Amino acid sequence: MSGGYRQQPGGAGGGIRKDGKRVAGKLRFTPPGAGGSRPVSSPRDLDGIPESVGGNEPQPAGHHVHDRLRTGTTVGRSTALVDANAKVTGQAWYGDDVRLPNEVIGRILRSPHHYARIRSIDTSAAEAMPGVLAIATGSDAPKTFGVLPVTKDEHAMAVEKVRHVGDLVACVAAVDEATAMEALGAIVVDYEELEPEFDPRKGLEDVDEPIHWRGKYHVGRTNVQKRVHQAFGDRSKIEHAAATSRRAWRFEGVHHGFTEPHAVVAHWDANGRLQLYTPQQVPHYTHRALATVLNVPMHQINVVRTFVGGGFGGKSDPFPHEMCAAILARKCGRPVRITFDREEVYWINRGRHPSYIEVKLDADEDGRVAGLDVDALIDGGAFASFGHVTSYYNGVLATAPYELGSFHYTGARVWTNKPASGAMRGHGAVNTRCAVEVGLDDIAEQLAVDPIDLRLANLLPPHSRTISGFRITSNGMREALRRVKEGSGWDEKFRKMPLGKGIGIGCGFFISGSGLPIHWDPNRFPHATVHIQVDMDGGVTVHTGAADIGQGSTTAVAQVVSEVLALPLDMIHVRSHESDTSPVDLGSYSSRVTFMNCNAAIRAAMEIRDELLNAAWDMLGYHPTTLVMVDRRIVYKHDPSIGVSYLQALHKAQEDKGALIARGAYRSPPMGGVHKGAAAGLAPAYSFSAYVAEVDVDVETGLVKCTRVWAAHDCGKALNPLAVEGQIIGSCHMGLGQVLSEQMVYGRTGHLQNANLLQYQIPSVHEMPHVTPIIVESSDPEGPFGAKEAGEGPLLPILPAVCNAVYDAVGVRPSSLPLTPDVVWADIQKRIKKEGVEDPLELESPRLTHGPLQEKLAARAEEHHSRDRARQRTEDTSPYVNGVLFGFDPTRPIDEQLEGWAAIDDPDPESMAEMGYAGRAWLKQEQRQMGGDV
Amino acid sequence: MVGEARVPMLPQAPKTIWQAKVNHRSVEVLAPSNAVLLDVLRDNVGQLGVKRGCDLGTCGCCAVLVDGQPRLSCMTLAGDVEGCAITTVEGLAEGHHLAPIQTCFAMHGGSQCGFCTPGFLISAQALLYQTSSPTEAEVNEAIEGNLCRCTGYQPIVESIMAAAALLRGEGEAPVPPTNPHADPHPSGPEEPQLPPGHAR
Repeated sequence: MSGGYRQQPGGAGGGIRKDGKRVAGKLRFTPPGAGGSRPVSSPRDLDGIPESVGGNEPQPAGHHVHDRLRTGTTVGRSTALVDANAKVTGQAWYGDDVRLPNEVIGRILRSPHHYARIRSIDTSAAEAMPGVLAIATGSDAPKTFGVLPVTKDEHAMAVEKVRHVGDLVACVAAVDEATAMEALGAIVVDYEELEPEFDPRKGLEDVDEPIHWRGKYHVGRTNVQKRVHQAFGDRSKIEHAAATSRRAWRFEGVHHGFTEPHAVVAHWDANGRLQLYTPQQVPHYTHRALATVLNVPMHQINVVRTFVGGGFGGKSDPFPHEMCAAILARKCGRPVRITFDREEVYWINRGRHPSYIEVKLDADEDGRVAGLDVDALIDGGAFASFGHVTSYYNGVLATAPYELGSFHYTGARVWTNKPASGAMRGHGAVNTRCAVEVGLDDIAEQLAVDPIDLRLANLLPPHSRTISGFRITSNGMREALRRVKEGSGWDEKFRKMPLGKGIGIGCGFFISGSGLPIHWDPNRFPHATVHIQVDMDGGVTVHTGAADIGQGSTTAVAQVVSEVLALPLDMIHVRSHESDTSPVDLGSYSSRVTFMNCNAAIRAAMEIRDELLNAAWDMLGYHPTTLVMVDRRIVYKHDPSIGVSYLQALHKAQEDKGALIARGAYRSPPMGGVHKGAAAGLAPAYSFSAYVAEVDVDVETGLVKCTRVWAAHDCGKALNPLAVEGQIIGSCHMGLGQVLSEQMVYGRTGHLQNANLLQYQIPSVHEMPHVTPIIVESSDPEGPFGAKEAGEGPLLPILPAVCNAVYDAVGVRPSSLPLTPDVVWADIQKRIKKEGVEDPLELESPRLTHGPLQEKLAARAEEHHSRDRARQRTEDTSPYVNGVLFGFDPTRPIDEQLEGWAAIDDPDPESMAEMGYAGRAWLKQEQRQMGGDV
Repeated sequence: MVGEARVPMLPQAPKTIWQAKVNHRSVEVLAPSNAVLLDVLRDNVGQLGVKRGCDLGTCGCCAVLVDGQPRLSCMTLAGDVEGCAITTVEGLAEGHHLAPIQTCFAMHGGSQCGFCTPGFLISAQALLYQTSSPTEAEVNEAIEGNLCRCTGYQPIVESIMAAAALLRGEGEAPVPPTNPHADPHPSGPEEPQLPPGHAR
């Protein structure tokens, strides 16, 4: 063995003369230790290594391309967050915990008016106050910014107009908070009040003073920010529908309710570079926006992401107060810290859109979903934020997991004089999903079939395409449904429980990473990049821009690197806080981090692995294909006693070139169609979930209490089951809040009436049901070790599950959320009147007698079960597109087989206006079509 | 700040010396006489582990132990607890070793984003001071004043139950997630090993 040696205890020798004297220069270096804290390497754990590469881990969903990288170290094991110790000892540093020497306090003056023109701002009295160091107004930073490049409509502080109560007008930096607050009071602003608009339905009408002006693209003189239309499929099928469910919903606005209020610290260092500390989900967008607004090149800004005390989408926009802090710090030459109080958190909002959604479902005589029509009018508040995307998501994310005969979507997002809505966990998909799933329950009722069987008989299989062209890879929907059905004892309970007790089902479908990066061409730059550096000490430093917002992304990245290199987790150090050191990354939104960053991290780790294996080859003489990585050792596959320690291999690999440095990137494959909006909703993988919820409804008061939830989520592969379960249970909590108690209450005068955590009712521990998380692993072919997202998708099914359970309990189908007692009580009263009973306790629970279709559906579901299994395990690789269930040949383009099975790009305004509120947005023309103002 | 109505904040109240025993250590700081405990602990004493979530007593992030009892520091005037023994999350660990409740929160997923964690740890610790065999109802009651948006409470309840079991001597102490501190003295913090020639 050239250069290699057999590892034997005490094997290092030589260098001692006969007389016992040691000889300098001839001594061999003692073999370095293995590295790490534990003294002894642990043996290879076959239970953590998949069957396909000789381990014991079962793989019911088939093998995976990353299987050969598995070392049985951490992947698939419940792992505490790597930053958990900082969090439980109080050492985690959040936005307001950044205290720089010589800091001053910044506060923000906010608009008291819903909509007003600013005639003048007089800051002279405030400036004269002792202790006031700097004051800034809109004129200090007139450039616009926004999270999406197409809708940059925000300013650091109001320029010309304020657009909602709480809009930023001016800011002050002073020696302490009291002085800053007094100075705010001394700023005199002269407003000219304008006519405000709060009702999104009225936003479709022409007004004198639209909240924003989009020039030639402006829709009439309305407040419509974005309108969307998509149509696919064969609409002739719905003319002979066997069952139809049409329901107009109203969803109130919901806030993320993260516990950490926004905070920011800005500091221009001695070299004139801006150091900005902020709890951000997407530091990179802030980075870009700061450069634009401050007129400073990006490389002169270092955005430091602090620990993030909860994000859920609410910390993913670049925020005006971040600009304010930077402007004030530049003016006064000292670090400025701005911390929001809870009320200000609600003024900046970015929560879920208050929505009017109308969903129409048609089923044919075979129990197939012949038509799905969605109309969504969403209330965007005063700014665009992510709204462009949200207006698409409200429709397109309803196109799966069911096979549809036709799909029609009209959507519109409208500006109103309220704090801006934006992205929130389950972005855009949550409300529509609730409406669709409740509609399906209604259809099942009409067809006299079991709603779970109805779903099971209409699912798209793995490796298929949706009606709008989304590419579905792995799909664990069927297994999720079967497991919740079994776990909850569905067959014994559904439609069989006494009045006031009910059980319901809901499903979910969500993207795992957005297919298109917002700011650049996906064909040129990757979505995510990860750098790995290993120096002589053996510690592995991973640089990534993935923002850990508590979901455990840092842990996931550390885990995959640890898995590939077979190193204990405490040797992996993830550095993800600073934009100076971390590669550009789009941050934590769209549930992209696990999928994209872990893929990039695996690629980088593979490079390091190759270098180590090549070094071991040099030392042992065995080709890398015959070497395996064990805990801090590289050994010969067929004789584990032959091997080198990790440090030995590392030092060998470092000879002549120093530290090992590798880079890995992730880019999503080319996807999607060519119709307008085809990019919205595209993702390299999709997650699926199915929940069963049990509720108790007090028939006399309308109080709904959710008592049990069985929650199955297909996350591809649970890299860290502890984190996945945490996400599932946490999603249940957030979804239950929306379905039972949470709403942003805007009064008659448009004021937000519950901008605090006392009246904005987040469920406490007493409102939480017992949740049984069920992890479904469908092993996604492109996911890191098969993983997909688990952060947002699990929120979707809980809403319809509860709504359907309420129907099972008291026979009323809700059409607005939240289901507060007054809403449910009113519905129950309506039913009492309709049925002419005296007492609510005399009402009867809905019952189900299976109709003739039931057996047919059950048989079809069983048939599809084996079809899906073969496709999932890639035993069947034939193409499958939405429409096969309706008799189309998947091998030929579907629009060849049927006239009109394609995207309709040229809508007919009159017919669209019948769809619902959003459809009416198409009755207006854009300015350019009217030859108007440009 | 929205609207016209406001209370003038200047001139500020005179500063007085505030003293108490914070995390087993006597402190004396100069603070406004009307300051709330949360501000004094964060801004003057430097215990940044105490979190400010709502200023309204609704989220429980700012909970501290005052003479062993949980109190919301945002709703407590500093002057009212002068001279008391105050424990924040930073004072829960015993020397170099995490308290059982801290280890269990880390190991059972009781902490995700971690912002509410200090408050939960304090509420849980206060319960565990009273009993080491709480029922689930008692645990729920102990943490009903704390809001958590990430975990859905279930992992938190599990963490507290696990910590109680540890205190009762049942079950094995879980291995911390990573080597928690560079602890040079695994046996305990009492006897530091000084370099030769250095007497105490």
